[in-house]
Amino acid sequence: MMTPLRFEQLYQDEWTELEGLLDQAGGRRRGTPASTSGARLAALYRRACEQLALARARSYPAYIVDRLERLTTRAHQLIYRRRELGLTQLKDLIARDLPRAVRANLPYVTTATAVFIVPTLVLGVLVYWQPELILSVVDSDTASSFEEMYSPTAASIGRVREASTDWMMFGFYIRNNISVAFQCYAGGLFAGLGTLFFLAYNGAFGGAMAGFLTARGLSSTFYSFVATHAAFEITAIVIAGAAGLRMGHALLAPGRFTRLDSLVRATRESVVLLYGVTAMLCIAAAIEAFWSSGNWLPPSVKYGVAAVCWAAVLGYFVFQGRRAD
Amino acid sequence: MLDTAIAVETPEGILLELRPAGLNARFCAFLLDWAIRLAVMYAAAFIAAFIGGIGMAFWIILIFALEWFYPVVFELTQSGATPGKRVFGLKVVMDSGLPITPAASVARNLLRVADFLPFAFGFGIVNMLVRRDCKRLGDLAAATVVVYESRVETTLAPIEVAPIAPTMPLAPEEQAAIIALAARVPTLTTERLDELAALAAAVSGDRGRTGPHVTRRVLGVAQWVLGHR
Repeated sequence: MMTPLRFEQLYQDEWTELEGLLDQAGGRRRGTPASTSGARLAALYRRACEQLALARARSYPAYIVDRLERLTTRAHQLIYRRRELGLTQLKDLIARDLPRAVRANLPYVTTATAVFIVPTLVLGVLVYWQPELILSVVDSDTASSFEEMYSPTAASIGRVREASTDWMMFGFYIRNNISVAFQCYAGGLFAGLGTLFFLAYNGAFGGAMAGFLTARGLSSTFYSFVATHAAFEITAIVIAGAAGLRMGHALLAPGRFTRLDSLVRATRESVVLLYGVTAMLCIAAAIEAFWSSGNWLPPSVKYGVAAVCWAAVLGYFVFQGRRAD
Repeated sequence: MLDTAIAVETPEGILLELRPAGLNARFCAFLLDWAIRLAVMYAAAFIAAFIGGIGMAFWIILIFALEWFYPVVFELTQSGATPGKRVFGLKVVMDSGLPITPAASVARNLLRVADFLPFAFGFGIVNMLVRRDCKRLGDLAAATVVVYESRVETTLAPIEVAPIAPTMPLAPEEQAAIIALAARVPTLTTERLDELAALAAAVSGDRGRTGPHVTRRVLGVAQWVLGHR
């Protein structure tokens, strides 16, 4: 008759072997070559699954069932592990996946662009027309410090007084801009409302600044400063917003999925966009700190480079990876 | 069920159990991670102050990286947990019980901003308290769950009792209950053990009786059921 003890005696050699293989594959045991026999491990795993099912059906004692559960859990984690990191994946991401994801989410990208641009233009025109309106966006100290930063006589354009070097501004831009972009994205969890708010807010703020500085006659320093890195920065923030809107829409209109499943799918698909956003904002920060801020460059050169950057970014998202479509 | 365990089915058709970690354990892990990050930031600040300009730039980038990517980096290692989580025996896995994927890790950590709102992780905490699987918003969207990693290793302490054949047929659940009683012998007081054994005295034909003698006979049945003859 089969008893728990006999069951254990029959199979415990297999369990010990499987434990050994798992330790080896998990790298817990040092000095062993990585020649773990995958086929053997898979076979033992399947047998352990059968034995667990048997042990549960026969209500075998907890110590046997627990041991089998530990074994199968560990083996399951190892066997079904998905490898998603690597240089090939990175190449695919840049060459294909990112621009395709942007095109696939075109309605969201368009909406995000509109939600960002409209407040920019409205506030820009308003503040240009009545410069004192800037005080309803920021206080007078901030306004005058912005004026100072973009004055043609500034040692380095766009630098706050406390920052001593371009490097410091680089760190500051990375932290600040990426945080803004991530906020735009995460706001999507609140049915997209957070995203809409952050996009409109940042657009309005930028527009107000532009209107104010233009009214103050600082347009040549300001626009030549922002033109180049804006190609990466504004595009990235709009894409982050599009990713957020994608999540928000998935929550509001789940279609044939449950609301939760719909959200999970949207999130998984939107992460690709976030990889791109992070990379683009790092590029933007580097340009902003080391190129845009240099006032030894004539504005005409900066505008030329800016045009090239805009063309490159837009061209990348429109044309890259089409063949794979 | 009072239990919060989640069962996930594997392709092999067996159910694996995940035990989600509650607010308390996760809060402790969070505090520890926060302290570690703070310590690294202060240490780096001292070094940066020596180097000057470039040092300060790297310091700001470091703060940024710690803020957003500290959990991602650790979750993608073998252990699937930040140092804080590891200390409290937690790890992050997918809903399917599999190791967390890079995309899910990025998503759940970027969405922490949403959990933080309206202040002091308000939405995250409320969500963790009302949900049985203790997920915060980021976990919901990324399809991840924070679980206790190690399971308690149960062993069967050998008992010096002669096996006795049960006097009645025993269903598998009854056999399991008798063996479970035998497994608990080392953790019970003698009095409590006698009380519990008295409830099962029918299996050795001692219905209604109690005392150390009956206990030994019930444990004898446990030995027999286990397979000792």
